[in-house]
Amino acid sequence: MKFQPHPYHLVEPSPWPLAGAIALLITTVSAVCYFHGYGHGGVFLTIGLLGVLSTMGLWWADVIREGTFLGHHTVRVQQGLILGIILFIVSEVFFFLSIFWAFFDSALAPTVELGCSWPPAGIQPIDPWELPLVNTILLLSSGATVTWSHHSLIAGDRKNALLALIYTIVLALIFTGVQLYEYYNAPFTISDGAFGSCFFFGTGFHGGHVLIGSIFLGVGLYRLINYHLTKHHHVGYEGAILYWHFVDVVWLFLFIFVYVWGGGEPPLL
Amino acid sequence: MSDNETETKAITIRTAGFDARFPNTNQTKHCWQNYVDYFKCIKARGEDFAPCQQFFRAYHSLCPNDFISKWDTQREEGNFPVKLDP
Repeated sequence: MKFQPHPYHLVEPSPWPLAGAIALLITTVSAVCYFHGYGHGGVFLTIGLLGVLSTMGLWWADVIREGTFLGHHTVRVQQGLILGIILFIVSEVFFFLSIFWAFFDSALAPTVELGCSWPPAGIQPIDPWELPLVNTILLLSSGATVTWSHHSLIAGDRKNALLALIYTIVLALIFTGVQLYEYYNAPFTISDGAFGSCFFFGTGFHGGHVLIGSIFLGVGLYRLINYHLTKHHHVGYEGAILYWHFVDVVWLFLFIFVYVWGGGEPPLL
Repeated sequence: MSDNETETKAITIRTAGFDARFPNTNQTKHCWQNYVDYFKCIKARGEDFAPCQQFFRAYHSLCPNDFISKWDTQREEGNFPVKLDP
């Protein structure tokens, strides 16, 4: 290893930034073509999305190689990576902020077209104290188990670190299953006015983030099993944990404001 | 002009008064509330109950005719988004 008089990682030339840019361009343009019914729009959209996913996988695999196997991730580099992950999560917070803005704009002062009430006339909201409450308990528990796993890792307790992470992922998968069941059996659709739009926009993007978070945790599990992580150095895993807590907090906001407050008065029977 | 006597009559022109529930320039909800209150009033007290006419005059002053005909059609078709029965 050549001596470097600084703690940073000056990366080798990489094709992934350009590959990612091309994949994103194909994805966005073909998405528009698909929406407007142009021929083969769907095919190119699929190609573009596969390109984006491949770039993510290959790029981050390189980051893992550089850090875990080549030793380029000094403490300074680790700090930079964690900061980057935190800033990315902050940007995701703003994204959900815009979704909640749309919800409150519609729900706080419902228009005359909705009958000046929320939930609007004709909408039968989902009882928050049934499956949504189960989902809240699932996610809060998964937040606890992932913390248990992290603390076990730091303490050098490999068995519990693995066990708790597996519990976390199982809870996440059960949450996803329950949401799919709710979606399938919901008495309203995304097309049912402002209520349907706000509900599925919010819970839908949240569900997407649950899937992303589950994959992130899954990668953490793979790396934990294969001895990539040490008690002092596990930035990727910490990133997954931070992301998971963010997903949990978004759900709590959804549960309180969209399900409980937004559901209005419970039915008389 | 001519020396003929012309009779003048005082005409009173009124509109709906200020309602503190709707203080802003956009009076859509003010119009809508009076529309809903009129029909709830006559459902509860009958069409001959005179105080209901206050709501009638208010919504006819405040609401664009397009709104009134749209809502009347919705009521007839059973699509009006408020339960008007007491």
